[in-house]
Amino acid sequence: MIEKKPPFFVGYLGIPKALKGFLLKLSLLIFAGFIAGAVLAGATQDDPGQAGFRFDYGRQTVTGVLETTPYPLLYVTEGNERIKEGRTMMLSGQGKTPIMANLPKLEGKQVKVSGIILKRGELDMLQVAGGNRGIEDLSREGQIPSSEPLGRWELQGEICDGKCLAGAMNPGRGLAHKACANLCLLADIPPVFVSSNPVQGEEFLLVAGPDGGPFPRELYHYVGQFLELEANLERRGDLLVLIVDPDHIKAIK
Amino acid sequence: MSVKYIPVQWNNNKWKYNAVMLASVFAYLWIFIFVTPDLMSNEGRINGAVHNARAFGSCAFLMLSVILCIGPLARLDNRFLPLLYNRRHFGVMTAFVAITHASYIINWYFAFSPSNKYEALLFSNTSYGQLSGFPFEVFGIFALFCLVILAATSHDFWLKFLTPRIWKRIHYLIYAAYISVVAHVGLGILQDQQNHTFTVIFILAAIVVATLHVMAALHEKKHGDPLAAESGDWVKVCETTDMQEGYAKIAQLTAKERVAIFLHEGKLSAISNACAHQNGPLGEGKIIRCLVTCPWHGFQYDVTNGSSPAPFTEKVPTYNLKVEGNTILVDRHANEPGTYVEPVPLNIQGAAA
Amino acid sequence: MDQAQAIFFAFQIWCSIGALIALFFLTIGIDRIDEDAQGAYVFRLLLIPAILLIWPLVLWRWFILETERDAWPNRHRPPRHAHFWVAIALAVFIPVIILVSLSVRQTWPVDFEPQKLSLLEERKS
Repeated sequence: MIEKKPPFFVGYLGIPKALKGFLLKLSLLIFAGFIAGAVLAGATQDDPGQAGFRFDYGRQTVTGVLETTPYPLLYVTEGNERIKEGRTMMLSGQGKTPIMANLPKLEGKQVKVSGIILKRGELDMLQVAGGNRGIEDLSREGQIPSSEPLGRWELQGEICDGKCLAGAMNPGRGLAHKACANLCLLADIPPVFVSSNPVQGEEFLLVAGPDGGPFPRELYHYVGQFLELEANLERRGDLLVLIVDPDHIKAIK
Repeated sequence: MSVKYIPVQWNNNKWKYNAVMLASVFAYLWIFIFVTPDLMSNEGRINGAVHNARAFGSCAFLMLSVILCIGPLARLDNRFLPLLYNRRHFGVMTAFVAITHASYIINWYFAFSPSNKYEALLFSNTSYGQLSGFPFEVFGIFALFCLVILAATSHDFWLKFLTPRIWKRIHYLIYAAYISVVAHVGLGILQDQQNHTFTVIFILAAIVVATLHVMAALHEKKHGDPLAAESGDWVKVCETTDMQEGYAKIAQLTAKERVAIFLHEGKLSAISNACAHQNGPLGEGKIIRCLVTCPWHGFQYDVTNGSSPAPFTEKVPTYNLKVEGNTILVDRHANEPGTYVEPVPLNIQGAAA
Repeated sequence: MDQAQAIFFAFQIWCSIGALIALFFLTIGIDRIDEDAQGAYVFRLLLIPAILLIWPLVLWRWFILETERDAWPNRHRPPRHAHFWVAIALAVFIPVIILVSLSVRQTWPVDFEPQKLSLLEERKS
């Protein structure tokens, strides 16, 4: 019984004639497969939207009253062209550097803050220059505007870190970005709730913990997920603050 | 091969092989990184680090999928064996592409912080109790460690030092790594994507890999080497009429041990089926210029004593055999590697010359 | 965070031990247990990463070879049957992981309108 044996390839010898055509086709197929893969996978990535650091605006310097609970906020009293008087600006340190350590003593004081604006649509944030050096104590007492309760709301949306969302990273939200968002939150960067639709005209809400303080670590599990929640809402200056509590928050099924 | 180790052995076919693979990988990365940004009509621009991480990550996944297809394809159709020949080089390339993916991620998402970025990678997300939002990074870390271990042990020294058996077991990690990569992608980027093109590519590739392996396993069950059933010292392997000059018949002596009986110049010799190099199936090779040649990497042995020709020093065990009537029997106790056994003439009618 | 620090520290210790073993193995051990390595030096650099990672295995094999306990039949008994289980594992895990991943995917609640539940409730704490 004679079986027909296939052509036999030995690596260090020449390629058998009968295999040459096959291997050439296979090589082309692999090459074409990789090219097609690159075009298809590369060109169909989701749009991260228009956002980023506004270095083109230059460094902004404004004066205002500092509040540190739940996160560093500046109630602007003397604005400029980009940051108008009456705005409530969320502040962050450079990169993921925490800035809270020296701030509590400035609570309620007038300060001069300088930094770079991050902006995504209606959401903006000020990255304070050189850590605390970007916040100058003017040694004057200021008036923190009183917060206005807006009642209890049922909302759906996502909790992100406000900085990446505002354009520090593009894309700056979602589950693939969750670990990065958590690391930002650990660095005193204000968390922001993106609402499915505007609440009182706002799509982006600052998030506070149940005691009105910082967003608690046990709720970090929800970062990046699409959530449904019930929470109290209040207005501070022109910023809406969502006071979440663990018992009334869950992921959308 | 024996004779002094050198860092990397090269020959013409390895150059060609690497040229094709490198060209494919470079084309992929170049197109993904430099061409596709202009093909997108997005309003915003994806950060360079993220874009590059996606390019290298998806490339590593594709490379790994191709690598995992080679084994079963070569089992199902031996025209694919040339792809197996230099698979290790492609594997090492994959490890480097995967490392680049990881460093883009680590130097982007976990940088800019006073924390150590490697520690940050571990502590930032600890939501191990949930699937949505699970720290999918750990699957990537595990897979990366596997790939690095495999790449780092790819030199022939490791095959000889660890023995092919242990080396193979370690290299079975590639399957764990692949499953882990599937979980890494599935619980990672797949959760966010609104455009499903990559999702479809990803699922197709993973299903092809799984299907080919199942097909190869079924093929092995159906057409695998027969088990020599007898219990005594001498076991029946095949009929004399099965033999073909220059080729072998294989039989399993135990679950792990296989013998290959070759017909060379009208005489029968039996050697171990497992090549000393990587335990490639010698019995699926053929005799070239009087030497049994392994179908995987072309290691060669004298069929009478299982020794490689000088200056090489590889040896495989030999077996005593005899012919009774039309039946070829082999002594199930292997001789020490390199033991000469007098070939047994096959003077039976009907044998193909 | 402490755990992450501990894991990273343990990894560094692991690799440091590996480096020490690489030093001894590549300068002394390798010449004793593999004649093909004698007089070959450049390739040894390529072995370092693996020794850093799998040094316990290196020590174990070094011991086996030094004490001539290596059983030659084992060099010719590949674990080929394991592939069957690999195929099963791939055929089970890959579809399950993909299905689970797809099933936990969320959809952005594009149509959900925020609902006001009450006028008063201001949390005081």
